[in-house]
Amino acid sequence: MNTISQAWILGQRALREALRTPEATFPTLFIPLFFLVVNVGQAGNVFPSETTPFLRGQSYAAFQLPSSILLAASFGSAALYLVEDIEGGYFDKLRATPISRTAIVLGRLFAEAAKGVLITLVMVLIALPFGVHIESGALGLLLIVVIASAWGVVFSAAMQLIALKSRSAAATQSGSMVFFPLLFLTPNFVPRETLTRPMEIAATINPVTYVMEALRSLILDGFDWSRIGVGFAVVGVCAVLAIGANVAMIRSYD
Amino acid sequence: MTTQAIEAEQLVKRFANRAGDDVEAVRGVDLSVAAGEVFGFLGPNGAGKSTTVRMLTTLMSVTSGQARVAGVDVVRRPDEARRHIGVALQEAGLDNRQTGRELLVLQCRLFGMDGPTAARRADELLELVELSDAAGRRVKTYSGGMKRRLDLASALVHEPDVLFLDEPTTGLDPASRLTVWDEVRRINALGTTVFLTTQYLEEADQLCGRIAIIDEGTIVREGTPDELKKELKRRRKLRTVPTLDEVFLDATGRTRERVAGDVQEVTA
Repeated sequence: MNTISQAWILGQRALREALRTPEATFPTLFIPLFFLVVNVGQAGNVFPSETTPFLRGQSYAAFQLPSSILLAASFGSAALYLVEDIEGGYFDKLRATPISRTAIVLGRLFAEAAKGVLITLVMVLIALPFGVHIESGALGLLLIVVIASAWGVVFSAAMQLIALKSRSAAATQSGSMVFFPLLFLTPNFVPRETLTRPMEIAATINPVTYVMEALRSLILDGFDWSRIGVGFAVVGVCAVLAIGANVAMIRSYD
Repeated sequence: MTTQAIEAEQLVKRFANRAGDDVEAVRGVDLSVAAGEVFGFLGPNGAGKSTTVRMLTTLMSVTSGQARVAGVDVVRRPDEARRHIGVALQEAGLDNRQTGRELLVLQCRLFGMDGPTAARRADELLELVELSDAAGRRVKTYSGGMKRRLDLASALVHEPDVLFLDEPTTGLDPASRLTVWDEVRRINALGTTVFLTTQYLEEADQLCGRIAIIDEGTIVREGTPDELKKELKRRRKLRTVPTLDEVFLDATGRTRERVAGDVQEVTA
């Protein structure tokens, strides 16, 4: 059995776990939708679709949707469940099996990817009645789902690193707070070129910006491959780094 | 499988503690356990029992020395060693959100069985540990004894040559403890070598053919319970045969008063 098959077996277990703890999944959907509604409610009149060029004729909800999708992707619970496994001893049980160490860290990330697909689709579906349409069509929607769920994997992998290093639920929970500001040091209310200079600099060096701009481009512009390509490249590089660090960490785990 | 189920030579584990100082938890342990034995590994808290088990089961790196389980070097070929080892560590390591059957099926799959074979093996083991009726219930609803039996079953999915049990009855009520003892005897009767750590000397006396006592990372006594008792009787010129408790206290340099004091300190 190869590493991917082993990871998929563990991923199925993680998915069962998610289905059995709906209370952990509910905030993943509710809080980003809450932010979407509140942000659009507060700033929707400031940016009317008819007179705001960057909305390309859509409602402000279309501009805000990527922020909410990325917020949802940053609610991955993989790391907290991993800490639970570590504290309860089940992690050692898995490490005592002859499966690849990589499969152990990939298993939960597979489940996060699957959850990311579902949550992104639900968020887009909920946004449609509010004047949002996906300019890039069905293929664009597919790309939105792929990039969002891949970003969810990156975030969860980063959290898993903290879990593996600290072996503590409290430290892992606090770790997510370190990453949370990255979501807001982005052009989440207006395009990057209209930000104040310090904020523009912060957004430019923040990788989340490029993922957000790729999603926004697929929703508002269609296929602007320069933005989409950069978004995928950023997600790809971050995924390689985060998963690579996970693999290195579990191999040296004592 | 080689004649010796477990062999360790000059096994050492050194950690850096929080202050950054080197702490030697295991200081050159030599072990030789024959196939088919139930071997007891005793010692006070912090003596190095669990650290030794974790090294032998590939869960912890070895600072220096060598160890082979079922003839396989656990440092050089950990994946192969894991195929020969069953592990049930302190505090049954289970996933409370799965059912007993799901947990065993998953464990079987991780040892390379296909779906139908895994399902069949899980049912066999559930029957062996008398949990068939509770197989569809989530593990979080199990009692301590049931969890311990499920943990034992999960360590047996691949019919290991050597089963490591780290304090398998700690925290169990007397009835559950007796059930676990029966399971250990039954598993051993099927040919599996059992390496058992315990703080309960009666448990070691009841189950183990041979024991080793470790203290401060070093093995201080080794032999059959009878040999160790006779040795103490002879050396101390006692009129009656001492208990294993007395052997333990003698070997670790503890007195009953000091042990009672330790317990009090822990409880406080």
